[in-house]
Amino acid sequence: MFLLRLAAKNLCRYTRRTIITAVAIAVGIAMYLAVDSMLLGAAAESERNLRWYETASLRIHTATWWQERLFFPLGGAIEEPEAILALLHDEGYHAVKRTRFGAELLLGYEEFGEDGYIPVLITAIDTNDDTVYRYGTALEEGRFFQPGEMDGIVLGSWLAEDIGATIGSSLTVSTRGKGGFFEAFDVQVVGLVNCPNPNVNRTLVMMDLAAADQYLGMEGAVTNIDILVPERQDIEAVQRALASKIGAIDPSVVLLTWKDLAQDYLAIASSKQGGSALILFLIFIIAAVGISNTMLMAMYERGTEIAMMRAMGMEENRLQASFLVEAGLIGALGSVIGIALGVLANLYLVEVGIDLSFMLRDLDMGFRIPSVMHGAWSLSSFVIAAIGGTALSMLSAIIPVRRALKSPITTALVRL
Amino acid sequence: MVRLEQVSRIYQNGQSVVKALDGVSLSVSGGEFLSIAGPSGSGKTTMLNLIGCLDTFDEGELYINGRPIGGMTNKERTAFRRNNLGFIFQSYNLIPVLTAFENVSFPLQLLKMDEQRVKETTLRILAEVGLAGLEHRRPAELSGGQQQRVAIARALVKEPKIVLADEPTANLDSKTGEEILALMQTMNEQRGTTFIFSTHDAMVMEHARRLVMLHDGTVVSDERRGS
Repeated sequence: MFLLRLAAKNLCRYTRRTIITAVAIAVGIAMYLAVDSMLLGAAAESERNLRWYETASLRIHTATWWQERLFFPLGGAIEEPEAILALLHDEGYHAVKRTRFGAELLLGYEEFGEDGYIPVLITAIDTNDDTVYRYGTALEEGRFFQPGEMDGIVLGSWLAEDIGATIGSSLTVSTRGKGGFFEAFDVQVVGLVNCPNPNVNRTLVMMDLAAADQYLGMEGAVTNIDILVPERQDIEAVQRALASKIGAIDPSVVLLTWKDLAQDYLAIASSKQGGSALILFLIFIIAAVGISNTMLMAMYERGTEIAMMRAMGMEENRLQASFLVEAGLIGALGSVIGIALGVLANLYLVEVGIDLSFMLRDLDMGFRIPSVMHGAWSLSSFVIAAIGGTALSMLSAIIPVRRALKSPITTALVRL
Repeated sequence: MVRLEQVSRIYQNGQSVVKALDGVSLSVSGGEFLSIAGPSGSGKTTMLNLIGCLDTFDEGELYINGRPIGGMTNKERTAFRRNNLGFIFQSYNLIPVLTAFENVSFPLQLLKMDEQRVKETTLRILAEVGLAGLEHRRPAELSGGQQQRVAIARALVKEPKIVLADEPTANLDSKTGEEILALMQTMNEQRGTTFIFSTHDAMVMEHARRLVMLHDGTVVSDERRGS
């Protein structure tokens, strides 16, 4: 108790220095909380948008297709999707058939001012797609194609803008069918999609599944079946529960979670979390240097006082403890201020967010977030910041204190 | 109480070797009021540092209360100082953020005495040194003489057998210095505490009942007087 009182009184001794050091720690902590909040918010929103617009919760492919997925092999399609769909329906899950295939969109001189082509990945969807995905509310312009409409396609709005396509623009799709034959067919843009997932806006080309089946000679086969798992359910648990039942119907298929399908995104998110840890480390280094310097000055200025206390028989570990408590109190003060600032910053980030539309359009950051980046609350980050700020302050004081205690009492006292 | 047997303290600074104390032998009994005097560099402070267990010696042996100090570890010396010795410093060395009461009670806190006893003992000693009513003042709110009274109270509060003081009046005017010496003498007589203090002030030497003169690290005279 005495040590705590002494430490608290010493803090008031150099009020300005204490405040400056605490504020430096506070700013570091607030910055960490803000960056962490934005990354967490971006990760949560990205994961949601991945499931809502790209991968669904679970997806069924054949093992062959999954192994050769970089080539989108139509030969590795699911031949009997209806039996699996019936099972999923019986189990109470919404599921849809899709066929994804690689193609080239040929742009004609008359329509686009120059001849050219762009490689695309076309997703053929059936009319039930909205039970699993959320494109229904994302239509920016035009309409969706009708079931069986052979020449209607829907484009991501940014893709359309990039190639100069509008509603009514005519394009030619060049691809290869299931048997490897070449196929080309003319299509017309009937709708533009602008959803909160920038990757979709940048790359989406959709057409009707029945039309694709006919063009590609799929004969009812599809490349994947996508499943919606309600938010509250554990996707991995559902995967485990369904895998054996689906395997009994078609042993050639594999059931994958959205994490298996979005490994590229997860790798980016993980590296960004690593970046967050690096920011945290750098911020704490700055705080450590600040607190270390403060304690070093305190040791220097109070050298005689320390020697006097040692002369009177104060044990070195108690003396060290009193200075560590002092440093810890500065850290705690900094943490309290930092958390208060962090809460304010987080409130803004969660409620308002930061508008990144000026850069997200042209820069692919990997996150599947809309133009406004929102933060997210994380209690654990606040706890880490509070404990980290205080503990680090105490740790930073150890070296200066030990240095002071190494000096002979008689030297520090000069005279007894 | 304190016995130095052929104690030497050698300081080495590069090539130069200085014998601050050179084979000094001295015996101090309980209740003495002893002054160590001598010119600058004669070894007064070194001798006080050794008796105060703040420094180590190179030759000889030092006994305090019959205990040899030479073989003690740093930790043992710290504990020995805490339990047996009181210190009065020339510059008072009070902790500026603490009140007079808190400064005086500091040695009792180190002894982990219970709060009620700390309070009673501290208030009693503060009254004895003439600081009753000033308990809550910080050092900056006290005069030099009052600060040295706080320092004396701090040295005596744990009732040590020996109090060591280095030039205790050097920072005070002569009138206040007289008062401080008188206070130390009173404490010596009333409590039987042994006072060993260094000085080069003739007025202070006059108050001592025993005067040990040092020169170049050796004892050149050891004079006992009536008070």
